[in-house]
Amino acid sequence: MKQPKILFLVVIALLPLILVSCSGTAQPKGGWSGPAVHDGIIYVGTRDGRVVAINSSTGGQNWSYPIDPPAAIYTTPIVDGELVYVGTYSGRVYALAIARGIERWVYPRTGSIGAIVGSPVIANDTIYISNSDGMVYALDTTYGDLKWKSEPLAVKLWTSPTVMGDTLYVSTFDGHIYALSMETGELLDWSFKSQAGFASSPVIYGDTIFVGSFDRCLYAIKIGSDVPVWKFPQEKPAGNWFWAPPVVNEGIVYAGCLDGKLYAIEAKTGEKLWEFDTGKPIVSSPVLIGNLLIVANEAGNVYIINSETGDGERIKNPDNADKPTINTQIRTPLCAREGLVYIRGEDNQLYVVDIEKREVSQPIPLTEEE
Amino acid sequence: MNPWDFIIANPVLNVLIALSHFLFGQFGLAIIALTIIVRLITWPLNNRQLKSTKALQDMQPKIQELQKKYGKNQQKLQQEMMKLYKEAGVNPLGCLWPMLIQFPIWIALYQAIMRALATTPENLLDLSHRLYSWDIVNQVIPLSSKFLWLDLGQPDPYWILAIIVGGTTWIQQKMSQAPAVDPRQESTNRIMTLMMPLMFGFLTLMFPSGLAIYWAVSNIIGIITQYFATGSWGYLKFRSPFPSKPAKGKQTSITEQR
Repeated sequence: MKQPKILFLVVIALLPLILVSCSGTAQPKGGWSGPAVHDGIIYVGTRDGRVVAINSSTGGQNWSYPIDPPAAIYTTPIVDGELVYVGTYSGRVYALAIARGIERWVYPRTGSIGAIVGSPVIANDTIYISNSDGMVYALDTTYGDLKWKSEPLAVKLWTSPTVMGDTLYVSTFDGHIYALSMETGELLDWSFKSQAGFASSPVIYGDTIFVGSFDRCLYAIKIGSDVPVWKFPQEKPAGNWFWAPPVVNEGIVYAGCLDGKLYAIEAKTGEKLWEFDTGKPIVSSPVLIGNLLIVANEAGNVYIINSETGDGERIKNPDNADKPTINTQIRTPLCAREGLVYIRGEDNQLYVVDIEKREVSQPIPLTEEE
Repeated sequence: MNPWDFIIANPVLNVLIALSHFLFGQFGLAIIALTIIVRLITWPLNNRQLKSTKALQDMQPKIQELQKKYGKNQQKLQQEMMKLYKEAGVNPLGCLWPMLIQFPIWIALYQAIMRALATTPENLLDLSHRLYSWDIVNQVIPLSSKFLWLDLGQPDPYWILAIIVGGTTWIQQKMSQAPAVDPRQESTNRIMTLMMPLMFGFLTLMFPSGLAIYWAVSNIIGIITQYFATGSWGYLKFRSPFPSKPAKGKQTSITEQR
């Protein structure tokens, strides 16, 4: 009888399970921090857990600030006055001097709050952060003191809050949109409940909130109303989630979808004006330069699309026209400044696309300089 | 999409999420329901295994006779044992196949739990590529990982599940045991009987509690079905046939599948 030996083999066969468990699937991998440009300096979180300031003219790093202990950065840095702010997956908010990258304050000073995934917003000398503990935090921008934190709004908040007037709007994975007083953090009377959860951060245009949902639809919700103005598509859901927040300009909503299509939708009626198929999931919001929409898909292709007609062209890879525009995945928010679009690739390099010339520059490595 | 994802991983993931929709959005209940479904699907295999186990246990007197007759000639003893098994239509090694078949299910379930709970932003984005376009699937995303005292994406911090999984594994082991043919094998069997519960208890401390729920529920179902299918508690009451070391017992582990 060889049963025990076979049982030993069975036990050994369990090892792959252990390996799977140790493969880090529960750990974040570098984050999706997008670039922010201010006075010719590009601020971005790197995949190895640093915040760097890069001279946009030379491509050299002015300074580099390592998050300690190392942590993924999903938030796009935000510059206000002399400070640049960033939230980390380790649950801390950092304020760094833009001149030299010196830490001015960190919140909390000891320990951490929940993981920060949604990018913070700043208004009235206050930085507002949605957090994985389900609460929104309001911190003083100068000293990092806590002004208030909201009651728990959901199990976790991974979307960014949006400011409109003196109100903060937050979308949640369980399908709520809450309105909070920016002064006190108290919930206001109006909230909206949807059957499916909201995948994207809310975008406000006029008195309407546009937000993507896990039911593969984009919703237009009038503030104060209990029913959506419209949902898009009206008949059959899209091919996947509207993950990235849409862009709204001159009465038209431009929404990228994980089904690979960019949709142009009439903001008032929800009627589709045109669609442009990039073929691969669109994770990042498009950006507008004049009447041109620049959109990137996850495969690394960057497209320039006429916002009026929906006609578009792919920007070619400088080394091989058959390859994607850049040789890596794109999941981070894009940043447009003065005819240039800045993209942080998943290869931890920064790419600059010149829209007029339809050219991609040589990538700027974001690795630590010697 | 690779064949593994297409044939096993993604169907398990979508069925789990769909079950959550029908079970009040409770992912833990969905795991329990899936466990029952898996046990139903594998019932023909389980049933054959239970019958084999019962037959092996019923053959105990004949095996003792062979022990007395050929105790000094191990080769002859093995031959006679195999002959006996053949006559009775029992394949002792065949009992292991149902267990081996469960490995892909465990791996798929582990992946499904981690993917469905989407504990990191990358997991959530990855999930979007794996979901079917069923309304019931998309309406419950993202799922809550809370169930009773557990975070289903994390090991049980209070060790309660580890004790349940280890204990039920031990009971099932004891119920599934069949006679050993020599003292050397008996020693190995004793180690195995101890090692399997310890190992699964240890794995429960390492793996997401959602997977441990699957093990625990599967064990409990296995114990109940075995009791009713064989009409006894098997070797939970068994005494060793070897007169030289009566206190230790001589048993062969035919491990029942979880």
